[in-house]
Amino acid sequence: MISCTEFIPAYSELFKFLEQKGDKPAVISFWEHLSDSFLNNLRDLAAQKGLAGCFEYWSHTLSEEAADFKMTFDEENQVFSIEMRKCPSKGRLLERKDIKPYHAYCEHCDLLYRRVLEPLGFEYNIDLSDCDKASCKLVIKRK
Amino acid sequence: MVEKKLKVLERNSSDNQYLHKDFHGALCYAIKYLDQTYGQDATAEYLKQVGRETFSPLIAALKKEGLIALERHFKRIFELENGDAEFKREDNCLVINVSKCPAIAHLKSTGQLFTDRYCETTVNVNLAICQAAEYQCSCEYKPGIGKCVQKFWKKEDIK
Repeated sequence: MISCTEFIPAYSELFKFLEQKGDKPAVISFWEHLSDSFLNNLRDLAAQKGLAGCFEYWSHTLSEEAADFKMTFDEENQVFSIEMRKCPSKGRLLERKDIKPYHAYCEHCDLLYRRVLEPLGFEYNIDLSDCDKASCKLVIKRK
Repeated sequence: MVEKKLKVLERNSSDNQYLHKDFHGALCYAIKYLDQTYGQDATAEYLKQVGRETFSPLIAALKKEGLIALERHFKRIFELENGDAEFKREDNCLVINVSKCPAIAHLKSTGQLFTDRYCETTVNVNLAICQAAEYQCSCEYKPGIGKCVQKFWKKEDIK
């Protein structure tokens, strides 16, 4: 086994490997597969509890990943947001000077979660313009 | 009238320990996907790439310090993830007898996908690390039970 703390570099390497095999479409196909098969916990929570389910899901995962973030759920206006000040995954990749992260690493977050939430009736927006600083902003609204 | 709430959760990196064991599940899905889409040889190729490209600090330490570097690395992992393993160094060989693989224990206890091919991670990542540092290794496992015996030795030494 490799430790779960060593997974992110292996994940980035997987995207590179897939791109070597079949260019970017091969990477996207894997992301679609992972979203459909691996994110059932987010899918179930969002379907059952709406944006409160999103809050519950990311409270757990981002805490276990030791992220630096501010998460907000405005119940009245049905808006959920994550201000990611330091993404634990991208941050660790950038810290490793011996590793070059996959060039579109952060795009997997956009595809994986959008694919779960939009079919459930949520509007999903992510700003990745600062992802080279391991920062991003996610806003999810009830349509 | 029910009061609508504003919920806020704010955390710094130092507030929590970095230990997201569900990543083991994501790796299981990756192995299954590669096996089904590109074949088992491609999966082995990918896992060796992980060993070569992402464990370069461990490869350098193994070259410089020898087997103590591997022992230190694996002891840290098993302690961090609450696994059980016995470490022995004899006749210039490091033997790790794993009685509880923490990754498999987590996947099974949480009902996540588990593929019998998961242990090929150990086989191929170890192999790539050892090849890069001019060491040799073996890993004997029975799929799914979370136990294995890993051995490491220098190329010119007798196993």
